[in-house]
Amino acid sequence: MNDVVLVARDLRRSFAAEGEVVCALRGVDLRIERGESVAIVGRSGAGKSTLLNLIGALDRGYEGELRVFGQELKSLQDRELARFRNRQIGFVFQSFNLLPHLSVGENTMLPAYFGSRLDEGETRRRAHQLLADMGLDERFDHPPMQLSGGERQRIAVARALLLEPPLLVCDEPTGSLDAKTAEEILLLITGLQQRHGTTIVVVTHDPQVAARAGRIVTLDRGRIVPEAA
Amino acid sequence: MNVRRLIGLVARNLRQSRVRALLAMIGIVVGTGLLVFFIGLGQGLRERVLNRIFPVNQLEIEPRAVQVFGTEQHVGQEPLDDSRVAQVARLPGVTRAFGKQKSSFPARLWGGKELIGYNLFTEAFFDGMPVAMVRRELEEFEDLPAKLRTAARRKPQRCDVDLDCAPGSTCRDAACGAVVYAERFDESTAIVLPCASDVECVGNATCLAGHCTPRTTAGLSTAESPQRCLLPLPAGNGRDLEFANEVGVLAHACVEAAGIDGWCKTPGKTCPPQQYCAADHPDTVLGWCEAPLPAVLNPLLLEVYNSDMAHSLGGVPIASVAALYGIRFHVALGDSYFSQDAARVRQQFKQAILVGFSRKAPELGVALPLGLVRHFNARYRGPDAARSYDAVLIETRDNETIPQVVAGAESLGFQLSRKSRAARTFGTVVLVVSLALILLAGVVLAVAATQIAQTFAMLVHERRREIAILRAIGAAQRDVAVLVLGEAAVIGAVGGLLGALLARAAALAVDAAAHALLQHVPLVPEGFFVFPWWSELLAVAVALLFCTAGALGPSRRASRLDPATVLAQS
Repeated sequence: MNDVVLVARDLRRSFAAEGEVVCALRGVDLRIERGESVAIVGRSGAGKSTLLNLIGALDRGYEGELRVFGQELKSLQDRELARFRNRQIGFVFQSFNLLPHLSVGENTMLPAYFGSRLDEGETRRRAHQLLADMGLDERFDHPPMQLSGGERQRIAVARALLLEPPLLVCDEPTGSLDAKTAEEILLLITGLQQRHGTTIVVVTHDPQVAARAGRIVTLDRGRIVPEAA
Repeated sequence: MNVRRLIGLVARNLRQSRVRALLAMIGIVVGTGLLVFFIGLGQGLRERVLNRIFPVNQLEIEPRAVQVFGTEQHVGQEPLDDSRVAQVARLPGVTRAFGKQKSSFPARLWGGKELIGYNLFTEAFFDGMPVAMVRRELEEFEDLPAKLRTAARRKPQRCDVDLDCAPGSTCRDAACGAVVYAERFDESTAIVLPCASDVECVGNATCLAGHCTPRTTAGLSTAESPQRCLLPLPAGNGRDLEFANEVGVLAHACVEAAGIDGWCKTPGKTCPPQQYCAADHPDTVLGWCEAPLPAVLNPLLLEVYNSDMAHSLGGVPIASVAALYGIRFHVALGDSYFSQDAARVRQQFKQAILVGFSRKAPELGVALPLGLVRHFNARYRGPDAARSYDAVLIETRDNETIPQVVAGAESLGFQLSRKSRAARTFGTVVLVVSLALILLAGVVLAVAATQIAQTFAMLVHERRREIAILRAIGAAQRDVAVLVLGEAAVIGAVGGLLGALLARAAALAVDAAAHALLQHVPLVPEGFFVFPWWSELLAVAVALLFCTAGALGPSRRASRLDPATVLAQS
């Protein structure tokens, strides 16, 4: 079994902005193994979110090489890429990104709506189980806007895990939470990594969050800062 | 994404944006409503107005005329006889063709006392029609199959005369049976056709003993000779005989009139059942036992009477044509309210009985069997007047073949009759107006589609983050486009159905208003609208089409949103 989750070689990404070309990534080399937890840190504008979007297969306008689970992402068509995201990657965002007009349960089940082979019964069973694990099963039919920030982020985590993806991509997962709730979410995520061997990539500004990761990758002006010997 | 989940998401999205969705739907509802309304109106005008006045698949043609000083003249043409009618019948698309002869002699009629309490008097115009041309329609109007079924269910009853049978039944072959009026419209009806010479007899008949007698291959007809009878002597002077004739059924006078023995075939008996004593001319009490003239009217006459005449004449409206069967009226042939056209000894006062209704009958006249009109034309206008037809009535296979039939008829030297020309003009006007109104509905729908486009462009902009989230968790571009188009389709389907309902409601309102305001206007139908079964389907289909077309651009833009950019911005 291949234990390499991600390989990036000379990964570059640039954007055109107001007539100028801005290079967000300037040749990133990165390798992540199965079951690793990696924190990507760096100052604002260092290219963290750009790297995360590329790893999460949301963006394929890169140069260089980027293989996730052995798949060169820029070679995939839109449908293949969507299916790849659906089955291989779970997203946790800073601002939760729940759909306000869907219930807690529906938000949790949402990934199963797209390209999943799970039937309605199994989807519902998994959603109940995940929400029960998060202590939120009784909120299944509630609108998410009635819940606290921590509860919403737990729902976002449950949604990300519904299809049991091998890679969890988190963008400032505790950025909108108070310290206590942030700690709860971090425990939840690290617990997952330990229980299921899920590979986790976290972008964060928070040193405490980064400290929980097995490896810290620091970005500066689009390049990875070499680790101190 | 499976359909059930798609519908669930679409429903929730629409619930979230219900105000915008409803506003966007207004245009679609109005557009499809107008579309269905105008389709129903156009179809209704064709079926309930046009086809009632001018029956479908039917044309009337006449020899081509030339305009001479503003009048139509038939100059130098071969007579319209059976061979030319047969030529027309052979035209592609023609199922049947019949010659029709109009009366060219003066006549007047009076009657109606049973209906309104006094007689109405008018000039009379007749169309002579072949029995085969109208028989089917007569049976349909009389609802003959139902009538015969009802009669068959009755207990068999023997009889000698009609009075032995229940009302509505007649004695035939010593058994009571249903009265069938349609079969009385027959060339061989026992009507005595007086004549002075052979030229007054048409077909194979010859003038014998003062009346036309059919000639067979073996000689003269062996049919029973007509029976002589006497009318009761008038109370006043000779002119009052006209009124004496009204009670001509009192033919037993034949028996009581002493001194003229031998005129009655069987002294002591009246004329046979269903016959009356018709005087030879207005100034005599000597007559022949004969059946009344079998008359057929156009059912539009009843509508004209009900809508206008009943009110102004002080009568009551007549519920249906069924109430008029068997009603008798009086006809004076060779006489006119405008001139004394024929000598009184040549005039004939006869009774007529209403035996049916046909849309082929003249709107302001009476249809009689062709042979009778030909005979009267020969008697009063000479043999030439009886030889040729005035028009040919054509039944076509369907409406689509009519242009082909018209072209064929024109190549044979015919033109459409004034009535058929009016029908085509009216039909064209209805079609053009319907199309124009449907076009208007199309414009409204096009405007509605732009409204849908704007609404969805706005919705897509508002939901950029939501779309990006869906893309992040696995929605493909196509899934996003289908989601947006699905919402537009639901708006379209619901809008189309509401539009169809709105059209139905508006049609009911218009019909109710027309009923209240136009009750004394003739030929106003019960309803102006006929909605084809497919009108609701069309409404939904058109609404779907315009809504999805309107949402196509926004759905493409939604599907092409870059999730990374949108999520970064949010």
